[in-house]
Amino acid sequence: MTDELEQLYQTTYTAVVRFLYRKVWDAERAEDLAQEVFVRALAHRPDKPRAWVFAVAANLARDEARAAMRRKRHLTLLKGDPIAQPTVSPSADILVEHDERVASVQEALSTLTPRDQEILLLWDAGLSYPEIATQTGLAMGAVGTTLARARRRLVEAHDRQHAKGSHAAHS
Amino acid sequence: MRHIPEDELHAYLDQGLSRSQCVEIESHLAACATCQANRDGIAALRDRTTALLAKLAPPRSFPVSFETLRRRAAMDASVRRRRIHAALWAASLVAAVAAGWSAGLFMGPAGAARIATGPAAARPIARPAVVIESTGPTATPTLSLSSEQATLRPVRADSSKPRPARVRVRPTRQAAAPAQPPAAALQPMTPPPELELSSIEIPRAEGELEGMWRTMSWDGAQAEAGAKLPHIDGLPIVQVQVQATQQGKQPLMVVAQQLSSGEVIRTIEGPTTDVSHLLSRRAMSDPGPTVSASDSSAASPATPQDPTGHTMAMQRGDRMIAITGALPSDSLLAMIRRLNAEMRSK
Repeated sequence: MTDELEQLYQTTYTAVVRFLYRKVWDAERAEDLAQEVFVRALAHRPDKPRAWVFAVAANLARDEARAAMRRKRHLTLLKGDPIAQPTVSPSADILVEHDERVASVQEALSTLTPRDQEILLLWDAGLSYPEIATQTGLAMGAVGTTLARARRRLVEAHDRQHAKGSHAAHS
Repeated sequence: MRHIPEDELHAYLDQGLSRSQCVEIESHLAACATCQANRDGIAALRDRTTALLAKLAPPRSFPVSFETLRRRAAMDASVRRRRIHAALWAASLVAAVAAGWSAGLFMGPAGAARIATGPAAARPIARPAVVIESTGPTATPTLSLSSEQATLRPVRADSSKPRPARVRVRPTRQAAAPAQPPAAALQPMTPPPELELSSIEIPRAEGELEGMWRTMSWDGAQAEAGAKLPHIDGLPIVQVQVQATQQGKQPLMVVAQQLSSGEVIRTIEGPTTDVSHLLSRRAMSDPGPTVSASDSSAASPATPQDPTGHTMAMQRGDRMIAITGALPSDSLLAMIRRLNAEMRSK
């Protein structure tokens, strides 16, 4: 049982980190969450560990996004204080590490609906159609439809940006 | 001739179809140039998507050993067990404090006996014994004084060593001591004391705070911080936690204080990066259940479902002070302004 999990850890850890990273955009945080996912798997011993691991990862990422929203609302930094405001933007330093091309893919991905994003990322993480269907509640037939749309939109959005970018560079 | 729909070609290439569906598609493809072209286009689209997504990989990845995770899982399990114990302990502590406090109210300022009735006891020193019944962590404690024990006499100033009231907490319901007139039989208090368990559940803080945190005494923390502990004057201190920061700077400090309503507010002071990191971690961490009698009234009007309450932060040079608590943001704002002025004057 545990050996199975260990094997899963060896084979899918990187995919889980990548999956999480594409949701939280913070490499360190993605690793923390990925480890948390496997720690939980050790405690739960799920029947279908691979699908379970990604389901939990998706939930953690969702919680994370909600917490970030809350934080934005609640961390009211006071204006008019004699000293400059701190810039609390978690993604700022990460964005620096990215080159423009990466940022453009990130932006293209963000134009997709959350559902399309989710399914595309699950597919890219190596989940099969039945696994994706089970996790997202989609019908098997709808997975292909969603993936077809998501892929098209991602590439289109990216090309649009690219065209815009090169146009701006020429003018 | 019916061509193969786009989504089916995706599913075909993704190996998301049954064997029989595949055979059907393959036989059609063999005879249909249009669908072949479509398939090639979709294959290219798939490859491009994969290539694009590949750029969105984290810069680095250092998987820890699986053994480390296994140890963490084992540790989490034991922490959960300890938390349950600690929660029970905290609950009984709260019950004891609440009962002691209300007993103090009933008995008057000097602990003197306004309830000095009953058979005149020959004992030289009054020894009130308070029995608190508690059915569990969230139970409202009822307080009763048995006739024999409630023989309180005014403690004379010259009497040798007046003893404090003994407070016993029983986890399970037991038969209350028979209250005979004219003994003082205190019925369940109205309003019952509000038990704010979540806020004093000390071990929770362990999970929330990362790094080397030390829970310190007020004096110890003050010595360490150089008399600049962030706090709101006039509120009882629940907990003081200190984390050393780099370069021998002043430590990061969290002072938990309890309002008369039972809510706990935390005042945080430290280097800006540490404080904002702590606040973001705090917001991320699961707010957890709030086992609280006063919960509904404590929720702020702006976000009624949010149990974490508000956070107010203020930058002071390279340091930051913050207050978190389930209070309206206006209250926190007023508090932090006051705190800022006080810390500045020190």
